[in-house]
Amino acid sequence: MNQSILEDESLGEYLAECREHLATIEIDLLTIEQGGTEIDEQLVNRVFRAAHSIKGGAGFFDLTKIRSLAHKTESVLEMIRSRQLVPSSEVVSILLLAFDKLHELIHDVGASDGADISEFVAALTGLAENSLPAGEKGSVSERVPVQIPQSTWRIQASAFDLSQARRGGKSIYLIEYDLIHNIQRRGKAPLEVLNGLMRYGILLETVFDLDSAGTLDEDSSNQLLLEVLYATALEPDLIRELVEVPEQQIRVVEKDGSVTSLPDWAARESANCGADNEPTPSQAAPEAFTSTLAVTPAGRSLEVPAKNSMANSATPGENTIRLNVALLDTLMTLAGELVLSRNQLNESLSRDDRRGIRSGAQRVSLVTSELQEVVALTRMQPVGSLFAKFTRLVRDLGRDLGKDVQLKVEGGEVEIDKTILEGLSDPLTHMVRNAVDHGIETVRERAAAGKSPVGTVILKATHQAGQVVIEVSDDGKGLSVEKIVASSLAKGQITLEQRQTMPDRDKLRLIFLPGVSTAEKVSDVSGRGVGMDVVKTNLDRLGGKIEIDSVPGSGSQFRIKLPLTLAIIPSLLVSDGCQRFAIPQVNVGELIRIGCTQIAQRVDRVGDAEVLNVRDRLVPLLHLADLQGIPRPDYGSRPMNVVLVDTGAFEYGLVVEELHDTVEIVVKPLGRHLKALADYAGATILGDGRVAVILDVAGLAVRAKLNGGTVEADGRHGPVDTLAVGELRSLLLFHNAPAETCGVPIEQVSRIERVKPSQVEYIAGRRTMQYRGATLPLVTLRDTATVQELSDQQRWLVIIFERMGRPLGLLAAEPLDMAEVTIEIDTVTLRQRGIAGSTVFKGRTILLLDFLELADAIQPKEVPEDASPADFVDRPHPVPTVLVVDDSEFFRGQIQRLIETVGFKVMAAEDGQAAWELLDQHPDEVDMLATDVEMPRMDGLSLTRKIRSDGRFANLPILALSSLAGDEEIARGIAAGVDEYQVKLNKEELLESIRSAVSRKNNDLAPRECLA
Amino acid sequence: MSTVTITREANKALVQPEGDVVAASVSELRSAMREVISCGVRELTMDLACVQMIDSCGLGVVVAAHNSLVKVGGRLSVVHASKDILALFKAMRMHQHFSVTGD
Repeated sequence: MNQSILEDESLGEYLAECREHLATIEIDLLTIEQGGTEIDEQLVNRVFRAAHSIKGGAGFFDLTKIRSLAHKTESVLEMIRSRQLVPSSEVVSILLLAFDKLHELIHDVGASDGADISEFVAALTGLAENSLPAGEKGSVSERVPVQIPQSTWRIQASAFDLSQARRGGKSIYLIEYDLIHNIQRRGKAPLEVLNGLMRYGILLETVFDLDSAGTLDEDSSNQLLLEVLYATALEPDLIRELVEVPEQQIRVVEKDGSVTSLPDWAARESANCGADNEPTPSQAAPEAFTSTLAVTPAGRSLEVPAKNSMANSATPGENTIRLNVALLDTLMTLAGELVLSRNQLNESLSRDDRRGIRSGAQRVSLVTSELQEVVALTRMQPVGSLFAKFTRLVRDLGRDLGKDVQLKVEGGEVEIDKTILEGLSDPLTHMVRNAVDHGIETVRERAAAGKSPVGTVILKATHQAGQVVIEVSDDGKGLSVEKIVASSLAKGQITLEQRQTMPDRDKLRLIFLPGVSTAEKVSDVSGRGVGMDVVKTNLDRLGGKIEIDSVPGSGSQFRIKLPLTLAIIPSLLVSDGCQRFAIPQVNVGELIRIGCTQIAQRVDRVGDAEVLNVRDRLVPLLHLADLQGIPRPDYGSRPMNVVLVDTGAFEYGLVVEELHDTVEIVVKPLGRHLKALADYAGATILGDGRVAVILDVAGLAVRAKLNGGTVEADGRHGPVDTLAVGELRSLLLFHNAPAETCGVPIEQVSRIERVKPSQVEYIAGRRTMQYRGATLPLVTLRDTATVQELSDQQRWLVIIFERMGRPLGLLAAEPLDMAEVTIEIDTVTLRQRGIAGSTVFKGRTILLLDFLELADAIQPKEVPEDASPADFVDRPHPVPTVLVVDDSEFFRGQIQRLIETVGFKVMAAEDGQAAWELLDQHPDEVDMLATDVEMPRMDGLSLTRKIRSDGRFANLPILALSSLAGDEEIARGIAAGVDEYQVKLNKEELLESIRSAVSRKNNDLAPRECLA
Repeated sequence: MSTVTITREANKALVQPEGDVVAASVSELRSAMREVISCGVRELTMDLACVQMIDSCGLGVVVAAHNSLVKVGGRLSVVHASKDILALFKAMRMHQHFSVTGD
């Protein structure tokens, strides 16, 4: 290629024109493919003409490779036009690849003549001769070696596969598996692992290192290496979870075939926020537009350097932007006016002309606002550029999955800030992929459901009240609320009670909780799990909100609301101490001022946390002063200002000293040394020149340990779940007499029945009733404690408990309620037989019943045969002893009595430290330990570790009892050395565990002695 | 527990493991094959008709057998592999090194 030609202006114009053609061809070809045999001649003609003009220009400039490739595509298109060839997806795929190659050639036109286009020409020729059987697609492929790092061997992959995978928006990874360490030792089978990979992508090639297996003469090898070349649309953070090998064994294969290590997710994120771009797998397309010469209608060429993407390619990381000249002219005019205004101002200043200064300042202010608006406009990009890439993604994914899916795009002309547009790319990719993968059913399923065989995914953008709304909807099977809830429940993210009270819409939002995204679990949640938490995080970062709607059987809809721009945001200014802070308006729900006389009424304490009563919801409170480490103002004499903020996942009240105006602030990034602070989203300079930091309300919540684990907006659960410091319990609340509210742990209740006073019989001095064909003994609280008599006027409740395998009923009055209560028990004031103590909940005093004590007082203990200590007569000590550790006296008592009912001895300790001291003093007397997890001084896990590290107690069974029973907690418990982990307090299971642990311990001793 | 049946004829042998070829059972298969190869067998056929599953260690032994045979100029072939096992061998491109056929 001749240098002088390259510099030729007309060549530049030709190349720009080629790019324009190529940009529209992809969509047109995909539309042609959809049409199948129904050929839209106009459309084919358009593509044909595009190929033709590329060819023509290439001939003129003597670009031989471009010309011959364009010529071949033209021949194939001619055959489609003349109906000699059906544009099947095979045909269109080859055409698309050829145009991709043309794109590449035009991008680096200087090197185009040296490029190898033979395989494309061969494929196109094959098509033209109509002699390319589908099975021989391989002949299209050139083998490309991928060098495996730190090794002499290479993996050969088909160039065709690689390029097709990339075009589908996929990234290519080279994963090194050690079949022994990464698969066998994890209890997995190799096929299971490979199938797992294939669910989310394509295995392009694998190479098994035969030498690593050794020969039969050697000892069995402890390392079997398998290199896998894997194409997937999963992002690096998800690939880590899916693949489950150490990170250094996963590498990214770049477009040029070079191999790099997995980019650090965090580093990548920050780089995306910053100005520069780095090569990441998602950046699959070549940087074709880097030197765009945009030809404007006026015929002038402009090149405006900018940091990122451009109209017809939404690929992040391009540094030119196409701009309307009229807009630039306006900018220029405004800049000119600014200069004039400055001159006027300078002039007036030097003359000390006050009127002149005032009018000058006004003009500067006016021009500045206008300038700001116009500059913001230059950053606005149509979302259509982003939407365009999904057509191909949907098509390729549909084909891979054997589904018939079409993508409809609406509102592509809606414009949005470039930064937001770029940030949207990943979340939208996730969502569109999920819609196709999990939402849309297979053709057969659709037919069975009476739906059209072709599934539809709709991407729609609209303006609504100063925001951009983007919808991703599909007409697939919808989300299964039950499965999502079941999965969240299994992970301990919600409680049983929440499951019953939570509205469906909130249940759907559970898919945004982290942990629903790991690969194995995805199928549990009917798909729709892959990285939805990542989607949410990304959208939160953009100031966006997401809503879900789903109708089982007819599809689901995700609605994303985004601000138009991020650079200037309306914010509320608040101050605390002498510092000012800005809270983005989008996070502000409402402002509440509580007069000093009302503070005591409206602010409650739940455990260690303060909560505010807002229209019957309880919202956790955070004091900005606490977070800053400065003293709180004295609320005895001044009102309390609360900003109700919404993090997107939940809301809380931020208590600030003073509220100021809402102003538009310009966001400035924080300096490097402050960037790691999650509390702040950035900084801004206020009108008076002072700096105010912008609060990141989600970050503050995280620091205050109010995590987004609860998704429901219902604050009633919010504070107790997120702020639980004390003991969180589900209580069944009921009345004895109207003024006496009683509570009993729900786990102890087996059934509740309603009964009329007339049904209760008095026989042999005891109250009984007929229940399930037998006589049920009844007790009332009045039998043991001085409380009021139940009123005869109303219907009674019978709360049925189980005691030593037999039912026993407690008579009570309605109404009945359930509550999650963080209990702080007062065991002194109202203690009586049968009443363990009292607690205060929502302003009411609740009597906590000790049902077992109540029952013991009325009926003598009858120890069932099967649980008698006789089972253990041949043990070293005649009666097994269980050490019960719990910081709550109430529950310690409950567990103690429960264990005593089966005849075991109980030692009790109020925390880990006390338990350890007891154990240390009586090492031979304790047969088993049942411990709470959360305790002051020494928690249950530390206690467990301490016990396990002491040789004397190696065989001591340890049972952890906790209301914190998520998978993670359980895993942590097991890791610490706990034998069993139970959600307290399930009597049967607890007793069963204790029995089996004690007898296991005794049996354990015997064989060990034999061995010795 | 698995058992291995070996039928030998001149320099050919047929190895028929029964049950799963997994970590717990491979040592038997390994020593059986080592023995027949040391006795001069050059064409070893592994019949997987009665094998449902192969784990990583199992694969290691099959490849080790291939390596041992190649070293002495012999050849391994795997026959009657179940659908899953065949898929596994194909995915790992084993069929490019020795013959693998299904049932």
